[in-house]
Amino acid sequence: MRIVSLDHKVIGLQYALTSLCFLLLGFFLILLLRWHLAWPTIAFPGVARLLPETLAFEGQLLPEFYNQLGAMHGTIMVFLAVVPLAVGAFGNYLVPLMVGAPDMAFPRLNAASYWLYLAGGLIMLAGFFLPGGAAASGWTSYPPLSILATAGQTAWLIGMLFLITSSLFGSINIIVTILQLRAPGLTMMRLPFFVWAQLVTAFLLLLAFPPLEGAVILQLMDRLAGTSFFLPTGLVVSGQAMNASGGGSPMLWQHLFWFLAHPEVYVLILPALGIVAEVIANITRKPLWGYRAMVGASLFMGFMSFLVWAHHMFLTGMGPTMSSFFQVTTMIISIPSVIIVTALLLSLYGGSIRFTVPGVFALAFLPMFGIGGLTGLPLALAAADIPLHDTYYVVGHFHYVVAPGTLFALFAGIYYWFPKVTGRSMNNALGYLHFWGSLIAMNGIFLPMMIQGLHGLNRRLYDGGRTYQAFQGFDGSFRGQAMSAILLAVVQLFFIVNLVWTLARGRRSSENPWQATTLEWATTSPPPHDNFATTPTVYRGAYDYSQPGAAADFTPQTQP
Amino acid sequence: MNIPYTVQPRPDTGVSNVIMGVWLFLASEVMLFGALFSAYAMLRVAAPAWPSGRQLLSLSSGSVNTLLLLVMTGLAWKARAAATDRARVLLLFSTLLAGAFLGVKFVEYRGEIALGMVPALNTFLATYYTLTGLHALHVVGGMLANFWIIAGIRRAGTAVSAQRMQAMSLYWAFVDVVWIAIFVLMYLS
Repeated sequence: MRIVSLDHKVIGLQYALTSLCFLLLGFFLILLLRWHLAWPTIAFPGVARLLPETLAFEGQLLPEFYNQLGAMHGTIMVFLAVVPLAVGAFGNYLVPLMVGAPDMAFPRLNAASYWLYLAGGLIMLAGFFLPGGAAASGWTSYPPLSILATAGQTAWLIGMLFLITSSLFGSINIIVTILQLRAPGLTMMRLPFFVWAQLVTAFLLLLAFPPLEGAVILQLMDRLAGTSFFLPTGLVVSGQAMNASGGGSPMLWQHLFWFLAHPEVYVLILPALGIVAEVIANITRKPLWGYRAMVGASLFMGFMSFLVWAHHMFLTGMGPTMSSFFQVTTMIISIPSVIIVTALLLSLYGGSIRFTVPGVFALAFLPMFGIGGLTGLPLALAAADIPLHDTYYVVGHFHYVVAPGTLFALFAGIYYWFPKVTGRSMNNALGYLHFWGSLIAMNGIFLPMMIQGLHGLNRRLYDGGRTYQAFQGFDGSFRGQAMSAILLAVVQLFFIVNLVWTLARGRRSSENPWQATTLEWATTSPPPHDNFATTPTVYRGAYDYSQPGAAADFTPQTQP
Repeated sequence: MNIPYTVQPRPDTGVSNVIMGVWLFLASEVMLFGALFSAYAMLRVAAPAWPSGRQLLSLSSGSVNTLLLLVMTGLAWKARAAATDRARVLLLFSTLLAGAFLGVKFVEYRGEIALGMVPALNTFLATYYTLTGLHALHVVGGMLANFWIIAGIRRAGTAVSAQRMQAMSLYWAFVDVVWIAIFVLMYLS
């Protein structure tokens, strides 16, 4: 296998492997942080004492390093792990197969997209080796702090330019592939919901990332050319008037950043919903309930996601008129999410469910994403958001969406399509262990956050708030969370062992081990270089399970 | 590998892959420059005073550059329908005019910096350098793409080259539109 390949399947696997490594790294960074919050005086075994003196003193993390851990955990998880896994890996590997195409529309652009992503990720990580360490201004990089920050922030910004270019190439490729390369007979309304989800996601990436690109260019100008796009007039730093022309606006960055970052939330969740829809249709052996409503809801969700960004900014003093507008739009956007989750829930009704490993991950996704979504509603209202803002409640809320939400869907996807990718089925016992362990551990981490947040405990405090009178008594929950995080780390070993062991000597699987209907199962496992021996012709919708009069309980899309 | 609709338009969408790709790329470019122009508007509205571009910048250089870009884009559009050799000449001329644009811009920058008009001086100049600089990078990128088309025009064949030139003509039209917006907001304000 050549290292630079143009085959979408190889590129998809490159994306998968790289993003899983970043996922592990991002998790390890936050494990250090959670350990520090639980046992601040005890060195993290084996690692903390190896850190240089600029990061830790006798095994205790320094505040500067604490900030880097938080900022880089967020950045890595969102930009280098989950989105590349959901879009780069799953989108790349599966979209051409599901639409019956020989490859992506632009294979060279596709390869460029992967290599730019890798370069961008490495540039960001290189920040750890710069004087002053990696970016430490949060994953949001709010000015003026980010402009005063050390060189790691410049590495963050340059890395981000690479990632945005990578995402631009990837999203153009996915849209053109879906619209142009559909096999004969595969009309838009016969597309699997996964493909629809990828289409909407690609549009979000295409249109939401460029404003962040513009903002990154402006912040680079502020840091390197001495401009004041984000520096207000009369800024005083450490008792000294700052030597800058001023006249800029820190709010401008927040607007540009959240104009990307809120659609980004739907970039994180839509591919996950797509995977869950595929798996749920397969394990219930029924057509999806309300496929058309789900497609419409995802299109509406994509559109609305451009109109809600300032609900992250209720505390910036932008005024009640703006707040009212964004409260209303935020309430409206919860409707399509509820439609999709309700349709998935109703799809379960009356089915004889097969509790396979991907199945249990997909089923657990529904309540976990439900908790994440519903805890977001109070945050959409300015009156409730003002006390909750910047507390652990917010952290708990979005982690429920992304960790036991999106990540569970991605795990479901890995277990579900692994036989297609490798021709081997993953081990079930290890899979269930991975599932139950992760489910318990993730709730053990994120549920206490809700309670801490409702007590007002602020996030991002180096000492976990121990110096504040009001924030006493959280030591026990910090330790519980750290122990859950350690459990989460341990059960991921089952997953890693399962991947490696299955690759080496796993049980051989057939072309279509799950008895599924969509096009990717109509070719060999793994698929040949051009995917299909002959271009498939499609005769029916994506979810013809248990059709009356059919020979089996599934009718593939290629069957007349 | 045989990817469908690389040259022929797909009947139900009416376009080929490349043309759809270019339109999508331009949509994202609209968002990029749209964000920067919005930033310009937000900063300008909030500023207590805003310098006059007419007094600070060289209107003559700006006008010459506007003309150069419009003519070069016209040539790029003409090249689409031309025969191979003629297309190559037209495209080469067009690319040289883009080079002339960059030359004028360079001389302009040099004169401004010599006068101490650097980006850090005030927000007007900061936006001026950022917007024109990013636009100039687009001109550089377009020139590289033009050279790549010219070099490969025989090997790729008429159909594929025509496709590439069509894509580039759309790109150059966009670069023009951005320039005109910059010209109006910066040089004429």
